[in-house]
Amino acid sequence: MEDIGFILAVYIATFGSVTALALFILRRGRRLAAQLPDEDKPWI
Amino acid sequence: MATPKTQITDSPAEYSDTKRAPLGRVRSTGTPFTRTIGIATIVSMATLAVFGLVLSPADVRQGDSVRILYIHVGTVWIAYVAFTVTAVSSAAYLWKRTRSLTWDRFAGASAEIGVLFMALTLFAGSLWGRLSWGKFWVWDARVTSTAFMFITYIGYLAVRGLGGSHQQRAKRSAVVALLAVLQIPLVHFSVKLWRGLHQDSSVADRTHVTLQGLMLFSLFVSLIAFSLLYLWLLIHRQRVLAMQDALDDKGLDYALQQRRDEGDL
Repeated sequence: MEDIGFILAVYIATFGSVTALALFILRRGRRLAAQLPDEDKPWI
Repeated sequence: MATPKTQITDSPAEYSDTKRAPLGRVRSTGTPFTRTIGIATIVSMATLAVFGLVLSPADVRQGDSVRILYIHVGTVWIAYVAFTVTAVSSAAYLWKRTRSLTWDRFAGASAEIGVLFMALTLFAGSLWGRLSWGKFWVWDARVTSTAFMFITYIGYLAVRGLGGSHQQRAKRSAVVALLAVLQIPLVHFSVKLWRGLHQDSSVADRTHVTLQGLMLFSLFVSLIAFSLLYLWLLIHRQRVLAMQDALDDKGLDYALQQRRDEGDL
């Protein structure tokens, strides 16, 4: 495959950054959910 | 979309009948619906990687660099959708009949995701440009207007971070969002308005579709995968922002109640 470095850089950056954002959101959500009563969680 | 619960038990005395009442039993932002979307997202993103990197053929003229298209188009599609959702949610907040901080949080969450996807679009475009045009950056109308839109939405997020009440934050950021969204048609049609290096749409014009077969299918997978990912991120991020706002409003009350409960034990 030609230009494999450039292509992989794009895929790794994309998949890596969205995974990092998803993990950040989940961890932050868990931390906040532990500090609040259930009535402050409108999705329940 | 559900409106936020406004009845708040902010008095510590209301928790006196249950020990540690401020700490709820639900410890995450997930629901069966979001878990289903999450699984579908993982499957579709894996499918995108397989089709984009392996199964999709190389282009006759661009060679293997066309594989960047499946990321570049997917991410810019989500950025457009995210900024449009930000504008629609902002309008819903400003309209008195639908005014709710839930709309503001959807606007903020969507803008954050949009900024990340716009950054990825610029990054992928820059590397693809190096392969196609020989340069990481050119002052082309599409490229420049996209970069300007990216900076504008960073400004939007900065405006959201200014001090004041949640209502003040919602109102001022909604106005900025409604102005910022006007750039989307400008960016999208910049290729037609000002002729430059950036190529025109490959699919949107039905009379002249330049992608076919597995390449078109891979692009379709990309749009589905990134759309599912956006939906999952938006729902979870909005819930996080709702809890953050609740904690801003009542965090001290809850902390005091916890300390009292600890003292009782």
